[in-house]
Amino acid sequence: MSFFINQLIIGIQLGSQYMMMALGLTLIFGILDISHFAHGHIYMVGAYLLYTFSVLAGINYWVALPICMIILALIGVLVERLVYRPLRGSPSINTFIAAIGLLLAIETLVRGIKKDAVRVPVPVDRSVSVLGMSLEVQRIIVILGALLILLMLQWFIKRTRLGIAIEAMAQDREGASLVGINVNRISALTFAIASALAGVAAVLMAPLGAITPEMGNPLILKAFVIVVIGGLGSMKGAIFGGYILGVIEALGVAYISSTYKDVFAFALLIVILAFRPTGLFGERAA
Amino acid sequence: MLELRDVRCSIGKHEVIHGVSLRVEEGELICLLGANGAGKSTLFRTISGVVRPRSGEIIFRGEPIHRLGPDRIVRLGISLCPEGRKLFPRLSVKKNLMMGAYTRYRNRVEVKMSFQEVFELFPILEERLDQDAGTMSGGEQQMLAIARALMARPKLLMLDEPSLGLAPLVVKRIMETIQEINRRGVTILLSEQNAAMALSISHRGYVMENGKIVLEGSSQELMDNEEVKRAYLGA
Ligand SMILES: Nc1ncnc2c1ncn2[C@@H]1O[C@H](COP(=O)(O)OP(=O)(O)OP(=O)(O)O)[C@@H](O)[C@H]1O
Ligand SMILES: [Mg+2]
Repeated sequence: MSFFINQLIIGIQLGSQYMMMALGLTLIFGILDISHFAHGHIYMVGAYLLYTFSVLAGINYWVALPICMIILALIGVLVERLVYRPLRGSPSINTFIAAIGLLLAIETLVRGIKKDAVRVPVPVDRSVSVLGMSLEVQRIIVILGALLILLMLQWFIKRTRLGIAIEAMAQDREGASLVGINVNRISALTFAIASALAGVAAVLMAPLGAITPEMGNPLILKAFVIVVIGGLGSMKGAIFGGYILGVIEALGVAYISSTYKDVFAFALLIVILAFRPTGLFGERAA
Repeated sequence: MLELRDVRCSIGKHEVIHGVSLRVEEGELICLLGANGAGKSTLFRTISGVVRPRSGEIIFRGEPIHRLGPDRIVRLGISLCPEGRKLFPRLSVKKNLMMGAYTRYRNRVEVKMSFQEVFELFPILEERLDQDAGTMSGGEQQMLAIARALMARPKLLMLDEPSLGLAPLVVKRIMETIQEINRRGVTILLSEQNAAMALSISHRGYVMENGKIVLEGSSQELMDNEEVKRAYLGA
């Protein structure tokens, strides 16, 4: 039983990471109909920024967190402005190729600077015992940190003028411009938010594993699976889908085999799409 | 107040507005008549800045606006209540109205007053405040669309076929309300296929065919015109 609960907590922690990534993707998809495949690499850049600030520059982890978020937000704005905006209105294959190109460029650039895997020390290097099993404090930090970010995002999207404008634009782009919403500004804002979310995920998760130039690849695949499972453009779907996948993966690894770690996501995708082609909360078919 | 000089627009490669000139004076209620595909919606979308004209000028209160984007044009005082309404279906009535006032967020007191004004014009909206826009009836959605356009406090309100697909009784209510909005000082440009109804409330009108203005005059003149009678009034 305690083993089960321990795995469940690990699953929720994984799910927290997935959720933050999927939320960003689904926000961007909702606003711009773009599949931002380079989002996992934005996460990777976040992890390296953390390494740069906390290991190389010796800045406190908790100070590095907001710095990484802000830098990633700016990178997100640039990506929208320089890569995706010029392609607006062109066939979606062009955007697709641009996203893949961007992903490769980022990965090559980072590998050129630092080829080997690096590590960031855990800010709170302790374990607590949960029902007789020991659990790293960092995992709890990930879960609570993600929850806090989630609540803030919900408040922003549901309660503030700019947040509501993001939803309005996702629901009717022309309607949004007709009430005076500057759709370019809202697109940039959405990219900033999504990239900052990737930054939080990266900074919280990085101390738990190795940082490599390729680390974004499995993550982006899973985040996309979650976006499809949850329903394209649906925030609720990204949240539930993220936690569901995290838990299934952790339990699958514990009770079936860790060999299939990255396969559970696709099994879940096939099963859910068979029953609900629009995803759990979506209106459009994937 | 608004003047179009030889405006031409294309959608894709096809020119669909072939040199339209028209004027709207402050305080007027002008109707724009035209059959399906005449180019009324395209003309409205051009004035709003959603479509860029390929040539010609659009002057609003002395200022050329044909190169501005829609967000700037709303701020200058032109609102469009578009064909198909373009509401935010999964946002509540309240949030739709809040978005209508998107450009005016600095002045909360005035926005509150605008809420009161639109509730006076459309009392049903106050009852439906927390309902999602997409779940309301067609007539209620049309009222919300007009109300949302009014929340920007336009000097010129353009309404694109507000009667489309609505029951006759609802159409009558909406037309009366449009007249009331005009009496309160908002200049109105109204496009309609329902010519009898539109001419009965407007001061002047233009008739559009195949992307051109083919006729203009006071509403009375248009009502008496044989062409208009035959083509639009079904006489
Ligand atoms: N998205 C589009 N793609 C191609 N052609 C279009 C598009 N929108 C409009 N058109 C063409 O432009 C012309 C003018 O259309 P517009 O919608 O402005 O007319 P309208 O007077 O508003 O018609 P309706 O009364 O049906 O609303 C038509 O010939 C139409 O076929
Ligand atoms: Mg039309």
